[in-house]
Amino acid sequence: MPHYLDDWLMAFLDSPWNVIGVALFLFGVVLAYVWAPYLRLIFKSLRRNPLRTMLMSAATMKLVLSIISIWSVLWLLDLVTTERTKDFKAIVTERWQIPSQMPLSYERILQDGAAVKPGDVKPQNIMSWQFYGATLDAKKSRENLIFFFCVDPAKVLPMMEDFRDISDQERADLEDAIRAVQEDKRRIILGRDCLRRINKQVGERISLFSINYLGIDLDDCEIYATLPEGRLTLFGLMHRDRLNNALDAYERKNGKPHPLARKSLNLVWLQIPDTVTYGQLADQIGSSSSFTDPAVKMETASSGIAAFLDAYRDMLWGMRWLLVPAILAVLSLVMATAISISVRERRTEMAVLKVLGFGPTPIMLMVLAEAVLIGTVSGFVSACGTWLVINKVMGGLRFPIAFFPPFRVPLDALWWGPMIGGLTALVGSIVPAWSARSVRVAQVFAKLA
Amino acid sequence: MSILVKILLILVVGFGGLIAVAVALMLLLGCGLTLVLLLQFLGVLRRIPLGYNLRNLFVRWPTTLLTALAFTVVVSLLVMMLAFVNGLFELTQASGQTVNVLVLSDGATEESVSSLGYGDITTLNQYPAIVKDEKGEPLISWEVYLVVNQPIQNAKPGGQQRRFLQVRGLMDPARTGRVHNIALHPGGAWFTQAGVQPLPGSTTGEQAVQVVLGEGIARVLGTDQGKPSLEVGDVFPMAERQWIVVGILQSSGSTFDSEIWAKQQIVGEKFGKPSYSTVVLRTADTDAARRAAQDLSDNFKPAVAAQVETAYYEKLNGTNQSFLYAALAVASVMALGGVLGVMNTMFAAISQRQKDIGVLRILGYARWQILESFFLESLLLALIGGAIGCLLGWMVDGWSASSIISSGSGGGGRSVVFKLVVDSKILLGGLAFSLLMGNIGGLLPALSAMRVRPLESLR
Repeated sequence: MPHYLDDWLMAFLDSPWNVIGVALFLFGVVLAYVWAPYLRLIFKSLRRNPLRTMLMSAATMKLVLSIISIWSVLWLLDLVTTERTKDFKAIVTERWQIPSQMPLSYERILQDGAAVKPGDVKPQNIMSWQFYGATLDAKKSRENLIFFFCVDPAKVLPMMEDFRDISDQERADLEDAIRAVQEDKRRIILGRDCLRRINKQVGERISLFSINYLGIDLDDCEIYATLPEGRLTLFGLMHRDRLNNALDAYERKNGKPHPLARKSLNLVWLQIPDTVTYGQLADQIGSSSSFTDPAVKMETASSGIAAFLDAYRDMLWGMRWLLVPAILAVLSLVMATAISISVRERRTEMAVLKVLGFGPTPIMLMVLAEAVLIGTVSGFVSACGTWLVINKVMGGLRFPIAFFPPFRVPLDALWWGPMIGGLTALVGSIVPAWSARSVRVAQVFAKLA
Repeated sequence: MSILVKILLILVVGFGGLIAVAVALMLLLGCGLTLVLLLQFLGVLRRIPLGYNLRNLFVRWPTTLLTALAFTVVVSLLVMMLAFVNGLFELTQASGQTVNVLVLSDGATEESVSSLGYGDITTLNQYPAIVKDEKGEPLISWEVYLVVNQPIQNAKPGGQQRRFLQVRGLMDPARTGRVHNIALHPGGAWFTQAGVQPLPGSTTGEQAVQVVLGEGIARVLGTDQGKPSLEVGDVFPMAERQWIVVGILQSSGSTFDSEIWAKQQIVGEKFGKPSYSTVVLRTADTDAARRAAQDLSDNFKPAVAAQVETAYYEKLNGTNQSFLYAALAVASVMALGGVLGVMNTMFAAISQRQKDIGVLRILGYARWQILESFFLESLLLALIGGAIGCLLGWMVDGWSASSIISSGSGGGGRSVVFKLVVDSKILLGGLAFSLLMGNIGGLLPALSAMRVRPLESLR
């Protein structure tokens, strides 16, 4: 076996889910072989009324589409609010107020984790964030609004997980853009949707009129590159020095600091190796006398996001516990109706099968298998279609929750689809299948006679 | 965009267009059939065998029940989702006065990102368009709006640990109440000039900050203490201080329902926001408000963003609009599932009743009457399911929920406590939606029933 194939196989077998998947597939193949005569009957039944099969399948596809769309939103929200135990980030923000506004001087103290005595721990790395909102015109029209994250470009790749899974080409482009921004602080990088919205091209120069730092307008900003697709697609990145130099210039010009000069640091990320260090750092920062005006708090990134999402809790609860079950119920009902009609029409056929020696259980299983087959296949087709259309055509689902960009359908949806379709079809067909099992030969033939 | 994506896009758009045309034609035909039905009830046209259809629905009750249930689920969910969106719309519409002008800092879209600390704006007090009270004082409200991060008392492990509270610091609460047309519930009082009072039961002489609460936030904070709502005299912690309730606002149905009002100097100092975020001026009438907003935006120095207060709250409907589109999109996809379900049922009903159709034709019923008959059957199914769905959906009317309203164009948005509102428009919309589903789902099978040949079906 070639070496690369061997590596691939070992990597594939590393995941228990892959092993289970392969085992299930093989089990299915064996079952199909053993039950070949039954399978032929199932396919014949489905072919008998193509219109009904098509309608059932179409209904399943539509409803699976809705569930996958909703789950894609919930899945991402769950993912970002799940606590990690290793290599996670903590966020330091103003303790009592949002939006958080801290003095830039806090950054230096946080770099050392507010360590004062031997044995105090320090974060592995930190990244500070300053927010700068601006429009392209002095009239400050909303259509031209850009929201910038002013950061140290050197921290972008090491600290931002958004860029961990990008392609090699995208990484090379981003590295080049970061280098360029470090060389010339007037350069900015914009998200692709942001660039589309303001109708500008890479290479153009723009002037920015701030809406949050009044009087801090920035001229001659060169749009140097775009950010890879992802969470930051609606935003822009700017060198932090550009904003801070402008704030210094304001003070020199006006003889007094800008009203937000002492409030320009919005949040700080700390890279932390484990929960023990997190606890110790939280104590150091919480008890430090350096953070009194304003006081600060440290929390995990997931906890911070969860707090933001709290405002949407009723809506998310409704999506999770009302909408999804209701769609599943509709899907089951559609399946139950179609299968029960099908069983009623085929009572004679089932009586004949019983006469030919088929037991009640195989007949019941055949009916169940018909439904599950339609559900699973339709669910899979729907999942593939949903993934393709939402991710590649629509560029994600634009759902207005907090600061989240368009939601993309995860690859996991490719197994959600068949699972949803198959299971709901199974639930919907249990009663009709049971009635097929209970068909009485004598009664059916007496009616015919 | 790759070639594959482009081809896919063309296919999707093309296919979508075809479906849209087909649905439009079906709707047109459906409307025509509904008109014919009406004429039959009025006795202008010969009637269809309605009793036959009704009996069939009863005879095949399990299928009828399952199909109607699908309609029920879809319509009840649609009503609930629309009630959520409607509640938010009503909240923003009920907030703000058409005669008030709201002044924010230049460029700010929302109070949370506004700061009027860039220059001397106290000259606003002398702005000529402001209405004066009986004592000759201008009806102007100076406010600082901020959002406070509050750890929840007695939070369950694994549950919600913190919430965001909206605090409004005011110079003169009684004047602000007049400007915003908000009074206190009996038994309450506005906070005093000092804004603090001794904390009840404190032996250390601790001072509690006096606050006035909106009804909604009083209910939310009450849950922390196991009460239905906080009342006058109750104390709660926020930002390492104790806050004592001195009044409850009659604010139900407005965004002020979710706010905590306290003395501006105290909250400004406590939370590091010494300047104002908002100034609200009361003018004589709607026209005066519009003119004043325009004039202030164009000519006032330092530059400010002024707008009629109702216009400001209307702009906060940005997220509501998105929620509405999302709700309609989900309901439409669910409805398509329901339509396909009813189509299935009706096709099956027709294939089982070929002989019945033959007999009806021999008895003298015309093709269009058979079409009407089966079309009506599906509409009946939709009507029954939809009506039950509307009833179920109606049950959420008045339920409390929380969400965020924002302009959707930058800025923070604000969390609000509001009530779900199911009104007659939503119920009628739900019923119409259900009939539309029945219309689309029943038409194709009814057309196929119309084409049944009597002799062949009886053979």
